Amino acid sequence: MMTKKILISLLGAGLACVALQSPVPVRAQEVQITGPLAGAPAVRKMRLYRKGRVQLQPFLGFTIRDEFSRSLMFGLQANYHFTEWLGLGFWGGFAGVNLDTQLTKEVDSKGVSTDRNRLSLPSRQGFDSQIATLTWAAAIQATFIPLRGKLALFQKVFSDTDFYIFGGAAFIGLEERADVSDGSVCSAPGQACLDTQTARSSRVAIAPTFGAGLTMYFNEYLGLSVEWRGLPFAWNTSGTDESGSPAGDFPDGQIDSDDRRFQFNQMINIGLVFYLPVHARITD
Amino acid sequence: MKFPVSGWMWIAPALLLTVPSMSHAQMDFSLDEAETDESADSSESADGSEGAGTDESGPEGVDAEGQAGADFGTGDGDIIGELAAEANKPEQRAEKGPKRTETVEEIYAVQQIYALRINRLELAPSFAFTLNDPYVRRTGLGVALNYWWTNVLALGANFLWYEGLESESDVNFFVRRSTRLAVPLTQWQLGAWLNFTYVPLYGKFAAFRRLIFQWDAYVVGGVGLMRTRPIPVIDPAIREFDYELRVAFNIGLGIRVFITRYLAAFIEFRDYLHLERFENIEVALGDEQREDSSTWFADSPTLRNNATVQVGLTIFFPFRFEYRLPK
Repeated sequence: MMTKKILISLLGAGLACVALQSPVPVRAQEVQITGPLAGAPAVRKMRLYRKGRVQLQPFLGFTIRDEFSRSLMFGLQANYHFTEWLGLGFWGGFAGVNLDTQLTKEVDSKGVSTDRNRLSLPSRQGFDSQIATLTWAAAIQATFIPLRGKLALFQKVFSDTDFYIFGGAAFIGLEERADVSDGSVCSAPGQACLDTQTARSSRVAIAPTFGAGLTMYFNEYLGLSVEWRGLPFAWNTSGTDESGSPAGDFPDGQIDSDDRRFQFNQMINIGLVFYLPVHARITD
Repeated sequence: MKFPVSGWMWIAPALLLTVPSMSHAQMDFSLDEAETDESADSSESADGSEGAGTDESGPEGVDAEGQAGADFGTGDGDIIGELAAEANKPEQRAEKGPKRTETVEEIYAVQQIYALRINRLELAPSFAFTLNDPYVRRTGLGVALNYWWTNVLALGANFLWYEGLESESDVNFFVRRSTRLAVPLTQWQLGAWLNFTYVPLYGKFAAFRRLIFQWDAYVVGGVGLMRTRPIPVIDPAIREFDYELRVAFNIGLGIRVFITRYLAAFIEFRDYLHLERFENIEVALGDEQREDSSTWFADSPTLRNNATVQVGLTIFFPFRFEYRLPK
């Protein structure tokens, strides 16, 4: 208790010292410019790329940090911007291509099925059939644009640029290995067990989505966007029986929702940005 | 829980003392955001005198605080001056809000680059983490030293320390348990590279059309060495590995945001590649063969691709620099 008192006293003394050393109180100051810029706004003739315009953004996306399957997505983002710094919109795409990772290929060629793990891996050659894949994703989201500027490329080409962050709710279409309620079908090798490896089921996961991106403008209505997106949710990416404690009831002999593990899914999207109407408003 | 009185006795005056400085917004408009230092004299005089209007370019004898009016009223026989002072008083009394100062605005056809890099030394401590390794979460502490021999081109070196900062992800555990497949893993101790840095892009951003800051984008690449070793997972009872040097390369993209002319924050995406030697996933038969260390490594090295994000600060030395040409 005594130590606590001393600590609080020291903290108080420290705050007092900081306060005493702070500069003399400052006051709001209005600078009157008498030169040619007197009365001028901070930025003149600025193009308002977003305010009051619809943004259409077809994109190509790819997931990163995948364990078993990498997805390439093709989709569209559409936003309406109420102001230059705030918009609401929709993002969605289909995972047109799913690529196996090196780990999936390794399991395909070197995995081992035994009596103990046969439900998880009925056959090593069929492992790529049991892994989960992302099929589509959609989100409603708000976009916030705090930074606006320009950049020079090789000191020759100049481009208006803005930085944005976004957040919203996402709906993700998944295809996973179908539930196996009776794991005893895999107590011995056979077709019944192999059939569970290829059986699929679909579901929709709901997750938050958020990210950040950069838009570079080529002209009033066309630009290029690069963004990172996070989609955290739980799914059974490997299609294996994971639930249960190693010291207790593992494996539980079932493939079901208990086998899902939380994953911080991430993707990169590269898109072309079109704004409608094609002419941007310009400030005074 | 009883709060000690002695604590309040110290904190209360401290809070009271801090209130005045918090209650007045300071709007320090730098007319030329690229010339903060050069205009420091004028802005300091305005701020330092609490907006007393001592700006040289302001109307002679008149300041925002009304001090001139006080002089006029000293009764030195200057009737016109006294009358003028009387006439000014109501306005001066009304001016209790924001202070006003005047500044002569000059326009330059070409603005100077905010922070020159040429002939400066750059020291950049950073924190790094890998993106594409699902088996081991690798983080590192780094430092880079670059010498800018033009304004857009630098030669330098960077160093990353990894040992003790990595952690194995649970993917390995789940894969081993479910598929009986051991994934060969490696441990990294450190990496060191010689790099070229080139700045093809630079620009400025305005936050909410108010706060303007300068930034640039750069590409970086070079060659170096990594010191790594396999973690024995296939035959841990027998195999032990020492750190060895591997040939390494790197290429990356970064963005640097200037906070001052000598301090910047950066984030960069860097792909560190090196020729890795993994543990042999096959165990030689026979005790003698099994203990032969030449059988412990995989037959051929594998090119590892380590996508890494680095976040850090950049400090330029010397802090001050001179422009070659006047504005």
